[in-house]
Amino acid sequence: MRKLLFLASVFVPCLTIAQTTVSSATFGTMEARQLGPATMSGRITAIDGVNSENGKQLYVGTAGGGIWKTMNGGASFKAVFDKHCQSIGALTIDQKNPKIVYAGTGESNMRNSVSIGDGFYKTTDGGDNWNRIGGLDSTEHIAKIILDPSNSNVIYVAAPGPLWSNSKHRGLYKSVDGGKTFDKILHISDKAGCADIALDPKSPNTVYATTWEFRRLPYLFNSGGDGSAMWKSMDGGKTWKELKAGLPPKPFGRIAFALAPSEPDKLLAIVESAKTGLYISSNGGEQWKEQSAVQNVVARPFYFSTLVVDPYDAKRVFRPAYNFSFSDDGGYSFAGASGNGAFPHADHHALWINPKNTNHMYLGTDGGVYMSLDRGSSWIYLESLPVAQFYHVAVDSKTPYHVYGGLQDNGCWMGPSSAPLGVKNADWKTINGGDGFWVTPDPNDEHTVFAESQGGGVVRVDTRTMKKADIRPQASGKEKKLRWNWNTPVVSGAANKKNLYVGSQYLYRSTDQGRSWTRISPDLTTDDSLKQQQETSGGISADVTSAENHCTIFSVAESPLDENLIWVGTDDGNLQVTRDGGKTWANLSTKYAAAGIPAGTWVSSIEPSGFDKNTVYASFDNHMYGDHKTYVARSTDLGQTWTLFNSPEFSGFAHKLKEDLKNKELLFLGTELGLFGSIDGGLNWFRMKNNIPWYVSVRDIQIHPQTHDLVVATHGRGIIILDDISTFRDLSKEVIEKDIHFFATKPMVLTTGIFGYGGTESQGGWVAPNAPAIPPFYYYLKDRVDNAEVKLDILSPEGKLISSLPGTKRKGINKISWGQRIKGPRTANGSKPDRSSFIGPQVLPGTYSLKLSVGTKEFTQPLVVQHEEVNGFSLDDRKKQYQAAMELFALHEQLAVTVDSIVSKEKVLKEAVAKETKPKARKKLEASVDKLELLRAELVPVKQNSMFADETRLREDISALYQSICFSENAPSNLQLENLKQLRLKVEQAGVRLLAIK
Amino acid sequence: MKRLNLVVFIMALVIAGTANAQNVDEVVNKHIEAIGGKEKWRTINSLKSEASLNVQGTEIPITLHQLHNKAFRQDYTVMNMNAFSLIRVDSGWNYMPFQGQTSPEPLTAEALKIGQEQLDIQGDLLDYAAKGNKVELLGKEELEGTEVFKIKLTKKSGNEVTQFIDTKTYYLVSVANKLNVNGQEMEMKTNYSNFQKLPEGIVVPFTMESSALPAPMIYKKYEVNPSIPESVFKLK
Repeated sequence: MRKLLFLASVFVPCLTIAQTTVSSATFGTMEARQLGPATMSGRITAIDGVNSENGKQLYVGTAGGGIWKTMNGGASFKAVFDKHCQSIGALTIDQKNPKIVYAGTGESNMRNSVSIGDGFYKTTDGGDNWNRIGGLDSTEHIAKIILDPSNSNVIYVAAPGPLWSNSKHRGLYKSVDGGKTFDKILHISDKAGCADIALDPKSPNTVYATTWEFRRLPYLFNSGGDGSAMWKSMDGGKTWKELKAGLPPKPFGRIAFALAPSEPDKLLAIVESAKTGLYISSNGGEQWKEQSAVQNVVARPFYFSTLVVDPYDAKRVFRPAYNFSFSDDGGYSFAGASGNGAFPHADHHALWINPKNTNHMYLGTDGGVYMSLDRGSSWIYLESLPVAQFYHVAVDSKTPYHVYGGLQDNGCWMGPSSAPLGVKNADWKTINGGDGFWVTPDPNDEHTVFAESQGGGVVRVDTRTMKKADIRPQASGKEKKLRWNWNTPVVSGAANKKNLYVGSQYLYRSTDQGRSWTRISPDLTTDDSLKQQQETSGGISADVTSAENHCTIFSVAESPLDENLIWVGTDDGNLQVTRDGGKTWANLSTKYAAAGIPAGTWVSSIEPSGFDKNTVYASFDNHMYGDHKTYVARSTDLGQTWTLFNSPEFSGFAHKLKEDLKNKELLFLGTELGLFGSIDGGLNWFRMKNNIPWYVSVRDIQIHPQTHDLVVATHGRGIIILDDISTFRDLSKEVIEKDIHFFATKPMVLTTGIFGYGGTESQGGWVAPNAPAIPPFYYYLKDRVDNAEVKLDILSPEGKLISSLPGTKRKGINKISWGQRIKGPRTANGSKPDRSSFIGPQVLPGTYSLKLSVGTKEFTQPLVVQHEEVNGFSLDDRKKQYQAAMELFALHEQLAVTVDSIVSKEKVLKEAVAKETKPKARKKLEASVDKLELLRAELVPVKQNSMFADETRLREDISALYQSICFSENAPSNLQLENLKQLRLKVEQAGVRLLAIK
Repeated sequence: MKRLNLVVFIMALVIAGTANAQNVDEVVNKHIEAIGGKEKWRTINSLKSEASLNVQGTEIPITLHQLHNKAFRQDYTVMNMNAFSLIRVDSGWNYMPFQGQTSPEPLTAEALKIGQEQLDIQGDLLDYAAKGNKVELLGKEELEGTEVFKIKLTKKSGNEVTQFIDTKTYYLVSVANKLNVNGQEMEMKTNYSNFQKLPEGIVVPFTMESSALPAPMIYKKYEVNPSIPESVFKLK
């Protein structure tokens, strides 16, 4: 026995090592596509430009979409931060060496939905590679980064610090070694961090900073306290004095301030206090004077913290806030944008002024980036940044299907999953305003969707007219005042598609599109009065927007197997279930807590299994109590006991768990910091990175029941689609242990695509690629193939090789696409090209063979190719089309032989001419050459070589008909067939005429 | 072919011929060892190769002639039309009749400069310091499932190329070029595979996949140190 154990101990580790682990790389070439859109874009938090590039080269930081770089002033952008945290608070370029850029992660616009950063990053190659440095990883939020203009190695970082908890990781930090290490040079308390900073460019040891005390709870926001103040140091931050003279009485909230670079003793500050206002100093902050200002200049200081003075003119002051205000007299009076051109989206957080042309500026808003050429009087929207912040996503059953979703500060939208020449900004339609959350297309009515704005503003929308009806349930007198979450669930039934659910603290159900409602629950929350302080939210300034509404229902799910089995999760920790359609409810909050999930946490999603009524999954989000752990659990006994999923891969608080529709072992998880998958029912997880930003916030996940697409709602990178995950479903443990696996191919329908070949190319903006019209073939390689070729041969039902395609060789799943065509004909040589040689006729239905070769190893399987009658295109029509195409194919090849013969005959004759000494004989030979050349000139172009030249000859006539027939889904018309007959005659005659020339 | 970016297209083909690169000393040395060793590569002064692009079953044949540090020429046939690209130390030319060109046209100064950097057929990594190139090991990372060394190569001109060397085989499996064209950054990624040892002892890839080409380029034959007449590199 002892011996056996010894042997086992030797072998078990070997087995463990040999086992192949599934990772993102396993899925190889199965890459997601980023649908965008950039139509409405998303919140922009930081902009910096390279001063020497005249406003063309910029970096843009976003709330949840990472960092984007443009080299052309915003005509196009490229994401340069996809491997890192996507929430950006600050961006600063070292103007002495603009390849060096610093990024502070974790934006500091401290709204309820703000994400969390993980430190300070530096690139030295213009954004290609980033390193996290400096030890600021726990600051969670960074507001500003400033370099000493006299020494770029001296860096100041203002870190407000964590929003949801006390922390020592906040304050003003300074580095003297280019960011390698930092010292904290201004620290107030574990509650107050540093919100803003400025240096005197003429005397960089003069440093101004503001500190800010703030805190959020799930049900309350507080901006302000003893820790908020304004500070000045004359010795590079070694010693500080508080600036008070002329400022209002404390306590303060958040202070935004700016220094005029050209006259650095001039400062302006917007001070949140009992008397929030604009204050101006002309002596380096020693004395301040209040200045009257319109509401736009002074409102909502915690959210609008940007104030900028022109680099050369102290009188020009810009206040991007709710709207855009600018002053030409140093802040004494302000005007607004003209409204000509684009009207910038409300809520501004970033402004960069081109120092080479100070009328040229870029503005970052809650809805993307705008550019002005007249110092903010008029604006142009830059429509290339797909950083949309979705909360939820839904799909319908149209072809192609549409996606629906609501966005932070950008209402509700719908857009197609594919569109002619790709999905463009203009393909998206707006459904509803405000902040958008759930959008639920009515499964029974293709023209109706249910949408919502913040705080339960539920509407029914007719998508033909976009007219709306308010369908929010009302209190009847038997209920307390209804409490609606900021992000109120509006959910249709999974078992009974007629059911529509909406939750306040009560659950409501409608079966008539919201025309009437039934309350089917008591208050399902804790109804804790201490957690219902939203009306006093804001702190020093009131900020009551429904964002702090609490003790509300946050998640609702009807079992796909039983409409009476309904699950409800609340934001205050209750997980409730009814098995009788709402007559009785059981609270399971103590049951999940027994699995190690903190009590009182948000139940962020519930996923009743589609395979077993007793199985349910739930995700829990406790970040509003300062706990970022990933809590996801499964119960197999209707919620009585729970098992927590764990993985070293996990990061970020959990938003959504999705069970696959076909394979119960296949699970997907979205957290604040990434998308994860499991193919073994949650035992092991991997981060999904195939064209998916690694740490993007994933708020919602759907799987399309017909196309099998994984549709992901991100809060910062729009909608991301992984087309047809069937191959994921087939990736069993047995498959991944094989060296090579050729996945079984489903029967394939012949198609020329769903959109035809027309359309207009992009006019700018974001254009997402479409789903493949023809499904590719997939194969799995356990390891990268280094020393062999990989190819796929396609054989006709008769066994003839019709196409041979090279394959990729990467580790994991590879794919090969085939256009369902044989290779094109050889065409006759002429002076201009003929595209027909690249175009083969589409094959006929039948059982083909696929032969995959990896080096000397071969794998074969049948491929069933089918005809599907669409728009009256019958199988008989297809056969006629094929026959005509093949005849034209043959005519091309026949003509090519004739032209070759003419050319070689000409060559022989010309040689004979050169040798011939007798003038008469020579003349005769020359006449023959001329005849041949005349004939050739009738068959192919001989003069022109432009594709736009109109030298149309017999070859062009054949091609025109050939291509027209090859790309149609129609039987050839009578006149096309007549034309074909004529062409055949001409090709035959050409051969006869050639023979006649002696 | 409608959206063909000429500069990137040409560079893709040019780079196809110079599939050797290098890195920080240990990695660089092991890499060069893996592909045949310094001594062998130092003797490589000319290469002739035949390859093809297979676009949905239709083959585009390509012939490449390279003279170390002197000249590069590739000839290929598209839709029956013979085309070529030619780069020499004094000039560069491009002829694509299928794009409507009636005679060879000079490359833009930008494209020529980038092209001339590729004339070193022994690779940028071999004796890199002597050539004025700098290399920096950025670390290890996963590239398409394969663990690689990520190496930044800064050429004498200042142009930067990122190279990925397989940590197991030490083959150069991928190269990312950032081309600055008309003030825009254009990225081109090239993957290499099907490494085979030639009778001369050097190891070269027989497959090259470029993000700028519609299909992988498959090599059929390499001739090492053939005698290539000067006339090959003259405009004809």
